[in-house]
Amino acid sequence: MKNSGSNGANISNEGGLSMTHFWQQNASILSLSVVLVALVAIGTLVSSSFFSLENFKIILLAVAGTTVVALGMTMVVISGEIDLSVAGTAVLSGIVGAALFDTGSAFIVVSAVLAVGLLLGFLNGLLVVWIGIPSLIATLAMLGIARALANTVSSGQAAYPDNLPGYLWFGRGDLWGVPVPILTLLLAAILAITLTRYTAFGVKLYATGGNAAAATLSGIRTGRVKIVTFMICGVLAAVAGILESARLSYINPAAYPGMELRVLAITVLGGAALVGGSGTILGTLLAAMIIGVINSLLNQLGVSIYLQQVVTALIILAVVVPGIRQRQVAK
Amino acid sequence: MSAKTDLSVPHSTTSRSLLRLFKDPLIWLIVLVFIVGIITSPYFLTPLNLANAIRNSAAIGLLSLGMTMVLLTGRIDLSVAATMVFSVIVGVTITTQIGAVLDERWIVRGNSFVGPPMLVIVITLLAGIGVGILNGIGVAYLKVASFIMTLVMLTALRGLSYIFTNGAPFYLKGATFDWIGDSVYLGMPTGFLIFLAALAVMLLFLKGTVAGSRFYAIGGNEIATMYAGIKTARYVVAAFAISGGCAALAGIVLTARLKSVEAPLGGGYELTAIAIAVIGGVSLAGGIGSPWRTFLATLLFALGLNLFGLWGVSTSYQNLIIGLVLIVAVGISSIRQRMKQD
Repeated sequence: MKNSGSNGANISNEGGLSMTHFWQQNASILSLSVVLVALVAIGTLVSSSFFSLENFKIILLAVAGTTVVALGMTMVVISGEIDLSVAGTAVLSGIVGAALFDTGSAFIVVSAVLAVGLLLGFLNGLLVVWIGIPSLIATLAMLGIARALANTVSSGQAAYPDNLPGYLWFGRGDLWGVPVPILTLLLAAILAITLTRYTAFGVKLYATGGNAAAATLSGIRTGRVKIVTFMICGVLAAVAGILESARLSYINPAAYPGMELRVLAITVLGGAALVGGSGTILGTLLAAMIIGVINSLLNQLGVSIYLQQVVTALIILAVVVPGIRQRQVAK
Repeated sequence: MSAKTDLSVPHSTTSRSLLRLFKDPLIWLIVLVFIVGIITSPYFLTPLNLANAIRNSAAIGLLSLGMTMVLLTGRIDLSVAATMVFSVIVGVTITTQIGAVLDERWIVRGNSFVGPPMLVIVITLLAGIGVGILNGIGVAYLKVASFIMTLVMLTALRGLSYIFTNGAPFYLKGATFDWIGDSVYLGMPTGFLIFLAALAVMLLFLKGTVAGSRFYAIGGNEIATMYAGIKTARYVVAAFAISGGCAALAGIVLTARLKSVEAPLGGGYELTAIAIAVIGGVSLAGGIGSPWRTFLATLLFALGLNLFGLWGVSTSYQNLIIGLVLIVAVGISSIRQRMKQD
């Protein structure tokens, strides 16, 4: 009963697993959608060029990299952990890839980048699960280590993938008229939604973050779930690194300062609570779009990038605080 | 690591606390750094070098002390570094405005500030405490998770810092700034003495007063503390206010040393401050930790960095080593804890 029974039951009535939880999540997604629609409406009223396919393409391109990482971060946060090392992972994997530029094969470079991302995620998982270091500390240390290694491997020099059209394609190419970074984001989002909503792994993920002890008792290997989640986040950070460096045709060992905090802001805005067990990929996607639309709007209004930071911070607070109050009342 | 004992024997005799001092692995690590330093570098034990090492520890040490306060209550403060820079910038900006009202020009050619330093310092401290109170209200009364509240604060303050300075640095002129930044008494720089004073006040407060002990109580079991009739929200606000005050103090010490302040200064210091507090044995879950051990961890950090500098290790390797030390220190303690539980 302990093992397969309850486990199977969990999977079969996924929707009913936590009915109230489900409604809460939907309420948060509903409010995020309302905010997004309102912002788009304001944008359309304020600027004639806002509501155009071209502008939406620009908005999506601007947030694609960060959002891909945010998908991974969301899963890590759902599992009850945190990953501050994403910028380190993106940089180190990119630099290792850059060391292989001479092979002239985009396939080898991209595979190496993804492998490094996977490996760093695995190491994060080991430190957190096996050694028992709080993930905040373990991934913070990993951020420092990965950045330091990236600096050492590259001798602090930037690399330029100019002679690798296959690599540049990830940032600049398009398929059926859609830019590759947007397609990559779509693909990652579909995979992430499928994984969290429609697979046994997704159920285990929410169970692990919601109540690890109960999950363990019902036969879920929570440690393994967490390690896999960290690995997914590592790979997605590496993917984001590829998208960004290919778009800029430039790999810099000091790139993406503060990325972890930006990604976390999106994740939290999307409704994931840092205690674990809640949050959705859809919420994170909506949150990323909200941030993208705000930035685009403020850009068109000619607001300085620094004031944008302040406005973004206030909007996050404005969205997050009422949500928290609601949940408190509901309890 | 052994920080747990700190609370269980609060009123031990001097000899026992001395004994405990020497059982502290941080002390032995500091001694080790000294021994290795003396052996490997002829410059390590010179007064000038030691003064430099501890001078550089003052700002990050003050941030770590504030962080310790907040961590004790089971919260976290990611905004410390942003607060540090922001409050000095606010101090300079408001003082300049006051000067404008008084028909004085306190910002002269080349963005140099020549107004009264004491006014800047007072406003800086008030700004830091104000930011802390805002953080505290968000966390304690609006119930925003501290990680999010202070992350949002970090973003906003960095943006505001750029706006107030137009992205250009302020240069700080004046004897008071020189005194804080450059003077040395008995081999100890003024900035470090300020750090020591803050440490002494915090130790007396936490270990010597009832109010201080309540911070531990809140971190240990907040609900029980609340049921005991203690208004926990006020203490949480106080912890953030103290952290903000420490950050402002750190800002004064750091900018007086650099003789300038600019918006991107101290990026990432918040993470170093967390690392130092945790190496000092402060638990992220709250209730465990001591400013004294945070102080020791700060010294260890500063002396270690100084030694790497003398060895000519590049800064990128320094981050690598800090990361590894963090993993090993916390790893050992968590493995030991787990073995104890088993």
